[in-house]
Amino acid sequence: MANYYNIDDILAEEEFVPVVFHKAANGVIIDPSSETNSVEQGAKVELPLWLAQELYLRQAISISVPACFSQRTRLEIQADAACVDLKSRSQYFYEFGCKIAPLVGDKTIEILLLSAFKIRYKEILTKAYTAVFTTTSKFLTLLTKEETNLYEAAQASMAAFKKWRMGGPRLQRASVLGRKRKPLD
Amino acid sequence: MAGQSDPHISIFSAEEVEFMAEDELIEIVPNLRMDPLNFICGDFGPFLPQIATQVPFWLAVALKKRGKCAIRPPQWMSVENLTRVLERERESQGAFQVLPFHYVEISRLLFDHARDDIPDMYMVRSLIEDIRDVRIHKVETSLEKFSGTSAVKIPNLSAMEVNIIRPFVGRALQAFYKHDNPEKIPDVDRASSAQTRAANNEPRMDSGIGGLKVAMSLPDDQWYQWFLTVFSSFFALQRPLRR
Repeated sequence: MANYYNIDDILAEEEFVPVVFHKAANGVIIDPSSETNSVEQGAKVELPLWLAQELYLRQAISISVPACFSQRTRLEIQADAACVDLKSRSQYFYEFGCKIAPLVGDKTIEILLLSAFKIRYKEILTKAYTAVFTTTSKFLTLLTKEETNLYEAAQASMAAFKKWRMGGPRLQRASVLGRKRKPLD
Repeated sequence: MAGQSDPHISIFSAEEVEFMAEDELIEIVPNLRMDPLNFICGDFGPFLPQIATQVPFWLAVALKKRGKCAIRPPQWMSVENLTRVLERERESQGAFQVLPFHYVEISRLLFDHARDDIPDMYMVRSLIEDIRDVRIHKVETSLEKFSGTSAVKIPNLSAMEVNIIRPFVGRALQAFYKHDNPEKIPDVDRASSAQTRAANNEPRMDSGIGGLKVAMSLPDDQWYQWFLTVFSSFFALQRPLRR
């Protein structure tokens, strides 16, 4: 409940999950390419997570493992977690996994997330504090939103410290006072 | 309930840490006679010429700017002491040497305002910069080693160093906590579980993040509040949204 208004949380629930309908539904346009306005029983559709959660509570659908946690991704992560492009799979990889895990009933997702995050965290750490901005631009495209937050937080604090170390006036003139104003005629 | 947990960890800017460093006491040698000064934080004086007195740093800088005193550098700022500290920092891989909590800010303020009062100023300055570089590298390497735990213990860290790593470590710890044990939290009433969980965790984290907690400069009840708001959101995630 505390994350109800959190933008990242809302966007994380926008990700699509494949579901299988148990009951037929009328009057809904879920699949834009179908002719009729209904979904019959046993159809496989992709729904956003917030919708899938509600229908799951009403036992109208069953959720299967989404594509970003497929076997191929798992093999890639096990091979080298630091170079996997998680952003292209899903920008909210970790939050999505946390929400999906109780719905799908797959225990291995959390272990996968944890191990992947540990390895990538080390990479972020080494690059965040020391590297210059331009050299790591390729690495930044691989990070999910959460990891990008981490990285930017570290960079911002380091940059602020360096700026403070350079010195400079303690009191800064407000920009509003900068311009000379012409006297009103 | 919606605005309860703040996703942005509150951070101090470098200037704010410097401001808090100015409360430290330092010795000055005034060259004038003045009556005791009565402030809210205490009484200082009376000031007699050539008699050393202890005043807060902000007062020392103010007097120095008006040319009314000479600041005596603190004990730990001698060349021998700093060389010894630097050697020990380079030798020991995991531990940090004991340095005053605000040594970075105090040294910078002294260089800016009291340049002529410090003997061997350039030597001292380069030594302090070296010490700081070594310590920051040590912090980074020790952060790499910890992974998967909820509490980090780094004793003897100074205020500015803590301020640099604070947002990063805070968010990283949150993420680790979120991924590490989502199953072990019982699905009971959220308020009571947050209270008991925080009460169980509080002594552990208290000793665990000793430097971090002190450096955040929060009194105990505010720390507890911050802890609750940060971590209660993760207990809340376990309940399905009921409309």
